[in-house]
Amino acid sequence: MSHATKTTFADEVRAIPGGEHLEMCYSCGTCVSKCMIQQKLEPEYNPRRLLQLVMMNEREGAFQSPTTWLCSACDLCYPACPQQIHISGVISAVKQKAVEAGYHSPLESVQVDEKLCSGCGICVMVCPYEAPHLVEKKIKGVVDTVSESDPNRCMRCGTCVGACPTGAIARKGIANSDLHKQILPKKQGQPAYKMIAFVCDWCLRETSDLEILESYSPDVKVVHIPCSGRIDPQLALLSLQAGIEKVLVCGCKPGECHFMRGTYLGTCKLGILDQMFTQIGILNNRVRFVQIGTQERGRIRHEIDAMLATPSIPVEVK
Amino acid sequence: MVDAARQPNITIKAFTEVERVEGFVGNFKVQLREKSKYVHTDKCNGCGECTKVCPIEVPNYFEMNLAPRKAAYVPMSQAVPLKYTIDLENCIHCYKCVEACGKLEAIDFSMEDKISWEDIGAVIVATGYDHFDPSVMAEYGYGKYPNVITSMEMERLNNSAGPTAGNLIRPSDNKNPERIAFINCVGSRDKRYNQYCSNFCCMYSIKNAVLLKQMMPDLDITVYYMDIRTPSKGYEEFYDRARELGIHFVQGRPALITEDDETHNLFIHSEDVSLGKVIEREYDMVMLNQAGIPQPDQNTMSSVLNIVQSPGGFFMEYHPKLRPIDTPTDGVFLAGACQGLKDIPSSVAQGLAASSRASRILHSEEWEIEPTVAVVWPDRCISATGKQCGLCAKACPYGAILYETGKAAEVVTAKCHGCGGCVAECPHNAITQLHFTDAQVLAQLQALLAVEPEKKILAFRCHWCSYGGADLAGTSHFDYTANERGIRVMCSARMDSDFIYEAYRLGAGAVLYSGCHRQDCHYITGQIVGATRAERLTKTFEKMGMSTGRFRVEWISAAEGDKYARVLNEMQANLDKIPTLTLKEEIEKLRPQMEQRARRMREVPGVDEALQYQMKILASQKAGEEVAK
Repeated sequence: MSHATKTTFADEVRAIPGGEHLEMCYSCGTCVSKCMIQQKLEPEYNPRRLLQLVMMNEREGAFQSPTTWLCSACDLCYPACPQQIHISGVISAVKQKAVEAGYHSPLESVQVDEKLCSGCGICVMVCPYEAPHLVEKKIKGVVDTVSESDPNRCMRCGTCVGACPTGAIARKGIANSDLHKQILPKKQGQPAYKMIAFVCDWCLRETSDLEILESYSPDVKVVHIPCSGRIDPQLALLSLQAGIEKVLVCGCKPGECHFMRGTYLGTCKLGILDQMFTQIGILNNRVRFVQIGTQERGRIRHEIDAMLATPSIPVEVK
Repeated sequence: MVDAARQPNITIKAFTEVERVEGFVGNFKVQLREKSKYVHTDKCNGCGECTKVCPIEVPNYFEMNLAPRKAAYVPMSQAVPLKYTIDLENCIHCYKCVEACGKLEAIDFSMEDKISWEDIGAVIVATGYDHFDPSVMAEYGYGKYPNVITSMEMERLNNSAGPTAGNLIRPSDNKNPERIAFINCVGSRDKRYNQYCSNFCCMYSIKNAVLLKQMMPDLDITVYYMDIRTPSKGYEEFYDRARELGIHFVQGRPALITEDDETHNLFIHSEDVSLGKVIEREYDMVMLNQAGIPQPDQNTMSSVLNIVQSPGGFFMEYHPKLRPIDTPTDGVFLAGACQGLKDIPSSVAQGLAASSRASRILHSEEWEIEPTVAVVWPDRCISATGKQCGLCAKACPYGAILYETGKAAEVVTAKCHGCGGCVAECPHNAITQLHFTDAQVLAQLQALLAVEPEKKILAFRCHWCSYGGADLAGTSHFDYTANERGIRVMCSARMDSDFIYEAYRLGAGAVLYSGCHRQDCHYITGQIVGATRAERLTKTFEKMGMSTGRFRVEWISAAEGDKYARVLNEMQANLDKIPTLTLKEEIEKLRPQMEQRARRMREVPGVDEALQYQMKILASQKAGEEVAK
């Protein structure tokens, strides 16, 4: 009893709030199958194994594991865990230790164009991960307030990209210019597709659902976005302007969003667009936001069918 | 069951509920309510004519609601006794059954519940268990997806006397499935619902899988499990046989099931732990092995019989290892799943054990109990003078004290288990506990605190838990302070506040008040009595201005030797922090208050003699020391 006990790596993780109950894991694998990262992003992703690495004091192994860096704390696994372990809490504790030890996130963070950034701080407000923050910098000899993103916190949801009013924040693949290219037809004239669907990468769990999406080509143009929080009302307007009849945005169900509150932000943004349409007297049956739950296999087919079946009323501004 | 009905010494009272149990071991009086079946059991010959004519159809509980039954029915064809019942809740009073019954005149709609009292020697509780309802687990979609069923429903579908005559079909399209899966641990080993392991489901799913595989060799069967537990004789061999038959076993708890809305096929998403990969496989049908849970009226039964429930809700045995059949109330025994989930062999073994335990009572003239029972001094009881009191009766976990204003309280010795709660609660010290009298405890106190009391830590330990904890700390060689002095009483309920006051009056440095954890208490609710008192004492000492940590309350089980050592070391460290002079001053300052509070104990018969005797021992000890010098 009087022996002094050594502090292990597991103890260090346990001492960080969120890291408790680590030793309760009995490796049932519920968290791994509830999570979609292994299927969609990284085959080596496995929270159960990370917990075991920590329990067995495999410090380096835990820091190098992709699980440490890819967990977006969506907490789908937490209510499913039969041992009620707050897994994302443990992972974030490990991540904290890894950052302290000098490791860096392998994820590519967003880039801020400091010339365009006005320092309004909207990105700071919308980010679910507290990655962007405002800093004072000398740009062209003038001290200015600009946004800067912490690469170890950024989970690449793109919410800030969609929210930035000046278009100063960008990430390769989902920058405004990239999406515009996808929306607008390459050749001049009327686009070949009737409908455009902005689909969040996480709302369609099943491979069969993605196949359904592909089967509507070329009538439906699919634009993949990392999160429905990335959507911007301007993208919808741009699509309508280009002559596309319908715009569908698919996000996760609230509580199941891969980026905590991205789907909430997406809903709010399209809600504003809806209000705008009402104010200028347009019946909005052209832009819709649907929230698809993890268990709603095949729902996307019904949504697209319903959307295509609605006759589009010509826009008449009062 | 049929054998039991034929045995002349067994009377089966079907449709009857136990409503009240009074008396004590060997002399119980039990109130029974025989619910009206609206059929005279002596006249009904079980011909079933009433069922044939009954126009009402309601879901059949026995068939897991997969088939209908009539309002005039027997619950199952093997029912004992085979007598029909009219379900009045669903009956439309067409009286066709009365016509069909004809001259037998067995059906009587004017019947009422019969209440009777019976003399009973011993009670065996074998009320069984209930099933967890998996529809609360949205991830498995039970109740939402037609082809997700429970294993109990599967049993009925697979039964040759069941609703489909043994033809296993999918509820969505009545086709035979080709790929089926079992999911284990649905609602068990899950802290969201039931933390415990349901014990029988591993074998149950293997059995079902083997049965299906034997009947339909082409059937693709997968069992999803967290751990397969096959601890009994022959079980592991059976598991091997299932594997040899080609049944797939996947280690991994499925996170969710999705359904194709056109084919109603199901997709199980699970990690295959041995591969470390998430797999998504398609099945025609999924069976959930749901957990067993306590019966819905388990709480009512436990208060009727005055027995305790374990944390999971099942009835608690008297001792988990040494007396697994007995309950805290003598003469009441447990058998089967009502005590804890178990499979058929264990239930049968426990049932036989319970009946032999019970027959021991029926065949004995006398009954031995622990000698530490409570005894009342009628002349000291305040109730005899006509004043309201009854604190002893409130404290008794067994209902062993008969209290009536105007009469001295009376202890039913056969019911008393000797926790001593009443003794400690009595404000007039009118009750004593044999072998743990106030005088005896006081004598120990005096002896332990005779020399340098301010350095001592006095530990009150209950016999069953913290005493065992202290013992374990000793046998495990855990270092703890040598200033600890222990006093054993039967239960924390016996730790009289007078003892604590007296200990401080004598100048004790610190006092530990320890007993069982609430759910482990050997005396049903004894710990609650003790804990309430400890709380009161803590507040009192706080108000008196006692330094913190001098009075400590801890619940330590017999397995927590390390905790016992830790607590005492902490108390010693705390005591070391207080400078000796300050401590002595505090003791002196509080002494008059303590004396005032403990004054009643000095009036107890025998206390004076004990103290005098104690003084003699101390004197002789001192004399001996001097001689040695």
